[in-house]
Amino acid sequence: MSFLREVLENLLSKPCTILYPAEKVPIPEAFRGQISISDEKCIGCSKCTLVCPSGCIAMAADSKEIEFKGKKITRKKRPHVKLYSCLRCGLCAQHCPTEAIEMQNILSCSGTDCEVVVK
Amino acid sequence: MPEVHIPIGPQHPALKEPVNFKVVVDGEKIVSLDLDISYNHRGIEKAAEKRDFIKVVPLLARVCGICSHSHTTTFVKGIEEAMKIEIPERAQYIRTIIAELERMHSHLLWLGVAAHEIGFNTLFMWTWRDRETIQDMLEEMTGNRVVYGINEVGGVRRDLTPSQIQAAFNHLLKLEDRFSKYGEMVKSDQNLQIRFRGVGKFTREEALKYGTVGPTARASGVDYDIRRDEPYLAYAEVPWKVITDTHGDVWGRTLVRLGEMHESLKIVRYCLENLPAGPISVPVPKTAPPSEILSRYEAPRGELVHFIRTNNTDKVERLDIRTPTMANWTSVAVSLVNQNIADIPVIVAAIDPCLSCTSRITVLNGRGGKAGVMTWDDLRKRGCGKNNKGRSVS
Amino acid sequence: MNALLLAFYILVFPGFLFLILYSFFLEYLDRKIAARMQHRVGPPFVQPFADFIKTLAKEVIDPKGVDRKALDAAPLIAMAAVMTAYLYVPIIGRSPLAFQGDLVVVLYLLTLPTIILFVVGWLSRNIFATMGGVRAVTQMFIYEVPFFLALITPAMMAGSWSISDIVTWQQQNMWFAVLQPIGFIIALIGLQAKLERTPFDIPEAETEIVAGPWTELTGRRLALMHLTIDMAMVTGCALVAAVFLGGPLTPWVITPGWLAVIVGFLLFLAKTLFILLILATIKVATGRIRIDQLNDIGWKYLASAALIQIGIVLMMNYLWVGA
Repeated sequence: MSFLREVLENLLSKPCTILYPAEKVPIPEAFRGQISISDEKCIGCSKCTLVCPSGCIAMAADSKEIEFKGKKITRKKRPHVKLYSCLRCGLCAQHCPTEAIEMQNILSCSGTDCEVVVK
Repeated sequence: MPEVHIPIGPQHPALKEPVNFKVVVDGEKIVSLDLDISYNHRGIEKAAEKRDFIKVVPLLARVCGICSHSHTTTFVKGIEEAMKIEIPERAQYIRTIIAELERMHSHLLWLGVAAHEIGFNTLFMWTWRDRETIQDMLEEMTGNRVVYGINEVGGVRRDLTPSQIQAAFNHLLKLEDRFSKYGEMVKSDQNLQIRFRGVGKFTREEALKYGTVGPTARASGVDYDIRRDEPYLAYAEVPWKVITDTHGDVWGRTLVRLGEMHESLKIVRYCLENLPAGPISVPVPKTAPPSEILSRYEAPRGELVHFIRTNNTDKVERLDIRTPTMANWTSVAVSLVNQNIADIPVIVAAIDPCLSCTSRITVLNGRGGKAGVMTWDDLRKRGCGKNNKGRSVS
Repeated sequence: MNALLLAFYILVFPGFLFLILYSFFLEYLDRKIAARMQHRVGPPFVQPFADFIKTLAKEVIDPKGVDRKALDAAPLIAMAAVMTAYLYVPIIGRSPLAFQGDLVVVLYLLTLPTIILFVVGWLSRNIFATMGGVRAVTQMFIYEVPFFLALITPAMMAGSWSISDIVTWQQQNMWFAVLQPIGFIIALIGLQAKLERTPFDIPEAETEIVAGPWTELTGRRLALMHLTIDMAMVTGCALVAAVFLGGPLTPWVITPGWLAVIVGFLLFLAKTLFILLILATIKVATGRIRIDQLNDIGWKYLASAALIQIGIVLMMNYLWVGA
């Protein structure tokens, strides 16, 4: 009996589907989404490359003056991330000493170029 | 007697993952059965030997989508035992919360799949809709809906904020209501009863003889649950009870899983209410001293065993995974004889098979009796029909 | 009726063109109601038509060694049978092709799709298709007896073998759903089994034998067979509506001819939609049963209920002869 009652209640109420793309799926604050690297904070220590499980981060030569813990240092390299090889595990963000890498709470989205790189 | 051979699998609408049953039938009754697993072998145990303790955890999380937290917890628990370090209480509680949430959503998925296998698509749609609530909770807490990645050697990676805890309590209230409704519906629905009762029955002695684990064994009266018999994480401090049943058939397994869903909800609520303060991880050394650890864990499907051998490096020397589904396949092959073809999907679904977990072996030539060494070229030829230069061989 | 009007009746309205359009509409409604009951959105209005057009355009794949011409002809035979059966069912009033015995003809023609499914399953040289075909025929033997008996008892009470006469009898007396409730329920269950919908979709059990007899049907064969089953749903609902719910006639006679046609048509729509609602609810609320369990239920409960219904009708006929 409870089954039939639920069936009739469902018939007369709005479906539970989120009608994408008219309605958007709510994404929580803590979601691990697309990777982003801050140019201002990275000191080129390569820790992200070492801990990345899928090996999608490569260090490319780049020179910039960065302020780190009150001292000015010159970084020599900067990470380039292959966006579609990234597992979004967040280990790079966790081990980065300057919090230069972060996982934003937006989706990685889809694209047509599988070699696209996030700098 | 004429023999009709029916191939169920490797691709079949009843199976969510590839497995091959070569069934010999007479009319609608099964005469004999041959089982072939290992279509999903990916070489994870070998790949784990090449990654250090930080990088191997995301690899092990991807052994299986729905038992992901089970595999990572078993592994890091084993490594922490090898390194002889104690992780903080708060980390134990957070791991327990995620583990029980995983158990809840796995059992809810199972209920939907069991209903789908008998054509009862309404219950399938409703249970999977409510599974979304649990996945939303997990997404808020860990950052991802399926592969959570919250474990690391030494503790957990993320903390629970008070707003997340409050949102979790609200979700749990809604879930409790839905669980009791499903319990009521399943127990009073005649259709489920006539399809599930008496199907795939085996006694307690047979369950022990064939090595079944998990809810499959507990439904036959085997009172064994690693969480109580060899406590780990926070299970020794949380009040909960083991659900067993004496029916021994698919109906019994349904009742056991329904009961476990309720128990898991109570455990999560208790842990959220009594979450101890403190750090969430401790610093760990880079290498593990040489030891051999057998790490056991009660995954949603049964007893999961990781055998880890370390040798003073920052990688494992040998990792061997024995999943619960692997232990339960024999019971399926045995209990399917003399049942109807229409019961194959029901009995297979009743052990909650997870073939991504199972395929840890490759059977070569069982009857040839030849011993030898297979070269990399031979393995590639066998696996994808191409030799090492990428050219096809027949 | 003059020849031109008869041709219009048969080909356009309420003939074949209306049948095709109404079967698309009923399939849409069936899927939409089932989806809403499951808390989902369901397909848009043109979905069945779009499915039909798409499947017609797909490639026809013949497995090695099958009889191509027979597989091509089979859906056409089934479709022809159902469309012919539809002509004898009252839609807007008495059918102009009615004759004594057309009830029996309709019932026999409506069994043809199931037999064609068996033939297709047999011809397909595929183990799953053969098993599905065998299950389809086994199921037919089980439910056809109660279904036929349930539809014959109104004929016994109305004293005629023509559906249009049964409808006229109900206009003068009372609906058979009220006089013979057991027969009405058996007719609904039999209709669900004839259309091979849950809980009787055993021949097409997706999780057990892939798609049963439908496994090797592709392209235009699949499109036409699917349309045949939809048309069988319309014909079956119309038949049950006519025999048990009074069909398109009202308890009083409406004088302007065109007004009678419109009112009859609206009544036909309302009654077939009501029956569709019942069938969709049964489909959503149950799961599949096994063929041996169907054997038990069919012979123990359905057949004995049908026999009890016949006994009651014979007694009622004896006590109130000519009522």
